[in-house]
Amino acid sequence: MAADPTRRVVIAVAALLPLAAVSGCGGVDVLGHPPSPAPDVGLLRAAIAAEELMIARYDAVLRGGGSLTAALDPLLAEHRAHLTQLRSRLIVPAGSASPSPSVRPQGTPSPPAGPAAAVAYLRDAEQGAAAGLLGWLPHAPASLAQLFASISASEATHVPVLDAAAGNLTGQAGG
Amino acid sequence: MSGQAARAPRGAAPGTTQALQSALAAEHAAIYGYGVIGAHLAGSSLATATADWVAHQNARDELEAMLRAGGSQPEPAAVAYRLPISVRTAGQAVSLAALIEDRIATAYLGLVAVSTPSVRQLGALQLRAAALRAAFWRGSTVAFPGLTAAALTAPGRGPAPDHEASQR
Repeated sequence: MAADPTRRVVIAVAALLPLAAVSGCGGVDVLGHPPSPAPDVGLLRAAIAAEELMIARYDAVLRGGGSLTAALDPLLAEHRAHLTQLRSRLIVPAGSASPSPSVRPQGTPSPPAGPAAAVAYLRDAEQGAAAGLLGWLPHAPASLAQLFASISASEATHVPVLDAAAGNLTGQAGG
Repeated sequence: MSGQAARAPRGAAPGTTQALQSALAAEHAAIYGYGVIGAHLAGSSLATATADWVAHQNARDELEAMLRAGGSQPEPAAVAYRLPISVRTAGQAVSLAALIEDRIATAYLGLVAVSTPSVRQLGALQLRAAALRAAFWRGSTVAFPGLTAAALTAPGRGPAPDHEASQR
């Protein structure tokens, strides 16, 4: 008794279906989807976005001019170095999804008026950024965790510098 | 380091014990170094150096407790250490303090590379403390406390912990 050729084809196709189901992909569609970025890419993008925001805050304060340039310029230079290093670690496979370097675009920061308030604003931002990086440590691979910890420590050292700048402002106002 | 094998803390990732011993070796050397530093300082600088000396003793005690809790024997301090610079003046003592803190920061980055969350957190907090002390003594900040230039130019490779000073 000869097998029905049409039935043989149906059986062969049915045998392949579980493989496609197990793979979790839609057959040839697997070739069409770009690879997903590694989990640490998300962390890097978040860190890059935070650093970009910090630089924008410094830029906004410095645009106000005044006597803060000498104190803030070295700190801003370190933030730019952080950003450069973070971006150098962002290696996204060609053709992968979401090639944008940042998590989302940030608006232009609006620091409070007056140098003392502006310094306090940056001080709070530094503390927040340093704590944020520490919060990501448990989820980062070793090398990235070391970079995050180092940048967090750098940002922590900016706080006493800003405190000293605030003290100098008070001294100038009092004198 | 002696040839005695250290056991990994219970439940800890491989390399944790070695990283803790490296940080402990750096703390031993820092405590010795601050003894020399304090002898050349006076006034508020001496008070700060004394506070930092105590901080390093506390850090040493914490590392030793962690090692013992994991069943490992903490490495003892050497009798003396060769200092990286000669110290005859207050200025040289301040330079040595900054140098010691830089090396402590690098040693604690070794703990940050450990996957055990509590060890990683300790490494990050002590790195921050070392960076703050280094910035005080140096009078300026750096962009990447603890990270060596080699580590910054070769992503994916952590810095090798640098022991504070060679044993004499």
